[in-house]
Amino acid sequence: MVENARSLNIIASLILVVGMIYILGPLYLTLSTASQSYEFMLRNGLAWYPGDQFLANMASIFTETRIPIQMLNSMVVAFSNAAATCVLSFLSAYAIVYFRIRWAGVVFALILATIMLPLDIRVITTYQVASNIFSPLNAVLDATGLNGLIAGIFGTPVQLELSVLNTHFGLVAPLVAHGTGTFLFRQFFLTLPKDLFKAARMDGAGPTRFLFDILLPLSRTSFAALFVLTFLSGWTQYLWPLVGASTPDMQTAVVGLARLVPDSDGQVPDFPMIMAGAVIVSIIPLAMIALLQRYLVQGLVLSEK
Amino acid sequence: MNAIDTAIRAAAADIKLIGVTKAYDAQTVVIPPMDVELRAGEFTVVLGPSGCGKSTLLQMIAGLERVSDGKIMVGGREVQDLEPKRRGCAMVFQNYALYPHMTVFENMAYSLKVAGVRKAERAARVAAVARMLALSDYLTRKPGQLSGGQRQRVAIGRAIVREPNVLLFDEPLSNLDAQLRHDMRVELSELHRRIGATSIFVTHDQVEAMTLADRILILNKGRIEQFDTPKAIYHHPASVFVAKFIGAPPMNILPVTGDGSVLRLADGQIVAEARLTGSYQLGIRPEDIIVGIKADGHAVRAVLRFREDLGSHSVLAADLAGSVIRIATPFGADLINQPELFLNLPAARLHLFDAETGRATCRAFAAQ
Ligand SMILES: Nc1ncnc2c1ncn2[C@@H]1O[C@H](COP(=O)(O)OP(=O)(O)O)[C@@H](O)[C@H]1O
Ligand SMILES: [Mg+2]
Repeated sequence: MVENARSLNIIASLILVVGMIYILGPLYLTLSTASQSYEFMLRNGLAWYPGDQFLANMASIFTETRIPIQMLNSMVVAFSNAAATCVLSFLSAYAIVYFRIRWAGVVFALILATIMLPLDIRVITTYQVASNIFSPLNAVLDATGLNGLIAGIFGTPVQLELSVLNTHFGLVAPLVAHGTGTFLFRQFFLTLPKDLFKAARMDGAGPTRFLFDILLPLSRTSFAALFVLTFLSGWTQYLWPLVGASTPDMQTAVVGLARLVPDSDGQVPDFPMIMAGAVIVSIIPLAMIALLQRYLVQGLVLSEK
Repeated sequence: MNAIDTAIRAAAADIKLIGVTKAYDAQTVVIPPMDVELRAGEFTVVLGPSGCGKSTLLQMIAGLERVSDGKIMVGGREVQDLEPKRRGCAMVFQNYALYPHMTVFENMAYSLKVAGVRKAERAARVAAVARMLALSDYLTRKPGQLSGGQRQRVAIGRAIVREPNVLLFDEPLSNLDAQLRHDMRVELSELHRRIGATSIFVTHDQVEAMTLADRILILNKGRIEQFDTPKAIYHHPASVFVAKFIGAPPMNILPVTGDGSVLRLADGQIVAEARLTGSYQLGIRPEDIIVGIKADGHAVRAVLRFREDLGSHSVLAADLAGSVIRIATPFGADLINQPELFLNLPAARLHLFDAETGRATCRAFAAQ
């Protein structure tokens, strides 16, 4: 082992280099393609070396596509998703950990089940509900026979209808129903001194004061970590925004990028422009990670100090 | 004496529990109906093995647990249905339960802030308490930057800064190492002498109980075994449970039978004269046994198993009539270097307990 350290080092470095090429290669191709012109690509195929058309390609993204407005949509979706998930997860974990609730274990298991049943699996039923958010209620009324009763009295059964398809709310709401945040906060709360809640009660602080004065300040890093994670996942969502939004002005940037590839056969897509778009769309999550990376690590370590 | 001492002394209230009961359901009755009175300014230690309901009792008084039945009176006021903050109790927890993100000052001032005390007065009161507990230099630190003993002092400060009617402690010293525990015990004792707050101190450590208490309340499965001064509990344990719980090493308990004139051990040796018949449990403290190497009088024969030398004295363990008996003796190693011992159990030092109930019976025998 020890005498072979040199050759081992070389092998390890080789593996590292291969891994880096594997990851950085596509990234390089993205950047080099984004800096070539459409004509260059038509003539030469893959762009192995960078050109000078980067700014021109960027400009055409802003002038010729809806990516800018779609990035605003992405911003709204990702931000609302992150904010709503943080608040909801924090409150549900608070209830589960600090209050003696009947069936708390079952509730927590159900929340965890959402992690095992991601949106991609439930996309069809989610679409059905989003197209009429009262459909579950209508179904219940029908199934229990209540509707027959109501029809008997008022002459017509209850059939409520409200579609949230193609709205920001409809894009965000299904993403929020996810248990990871609750799990994260619960684990964090369990690491706190267990008599904290009682001590606060002895000090005269009720559940609300405890929430705001004690728990919230202690959870800062967990909030930041969860916010970054859910923001990124909201930003990069593809399947749900694809089906949940039908007009280009409602679609998110990731969906918009995919749509830049023309549907008709025979025409070569303008890959330099699409790659420039990909670079632009990636800037927001990259900036996010760069800014909040410290909290991300701290928050996921899950302990005070 | 400064203002806060006198304020707390003046606030000290008596506590009365009337038929207080705690049951989670029909099977798990943690505290069967309990009646007890604690005097104002008294330091009561609740002592019992873990799981016997000490914390439950304390938290019912504090208002953190509901009573299933009964009344709790603090200073003549019925409090069992009041919120914790309206009962005038303050509590010190085993794991300190300090707010990790607040400084020492903020930790101690938090209850005052919640109660709406003005800023200047908050600062003055925290400063007074900090001075009393030698914490003045640490007010701007966070709990994470303090040692265990300092954290415990902050927890105590947080409790007394409100000038409570009653101070509650739930095993506050059990997280500290032996030396620190001893120091804190002395500090607590001094603090109590100074501020004279009605205090209830829960522990499973009999040394803490003996050294701190005005009176000890011994709890067994939620029932009161004995409630008396440390001295009385040591010298006149009311039951086998108490006898075995107090003292290190604890009291020896031997089964004996009386035939109307003498008490005999299981192997027939006579330990004492007594006009008793039937089965009993005989108790004798390790330090009350007189060790000899020759048979005389009612001395019983025992076989030495092992010996622990503790410097000031030795603790011997010997087989006697099928049980192990412990003897604390000042004699050194040289004197007792043989397997056969003769033990004299002075009649005045014997305790007799009912064989079935374990309660102490007729002291008349000991007077003989
Ligand atoms: N929520 C609960 N449900 C049922 N039993 C409980 C509950 N909380 C505590 N107990 C029981 O009450 C008993 C007393 O607990 P506790 O007061 O904490 O004991 P101690 O402080 O003396 O160690 C224990 O046997 C425990 O199992
Ligand atoms: Mg306890």
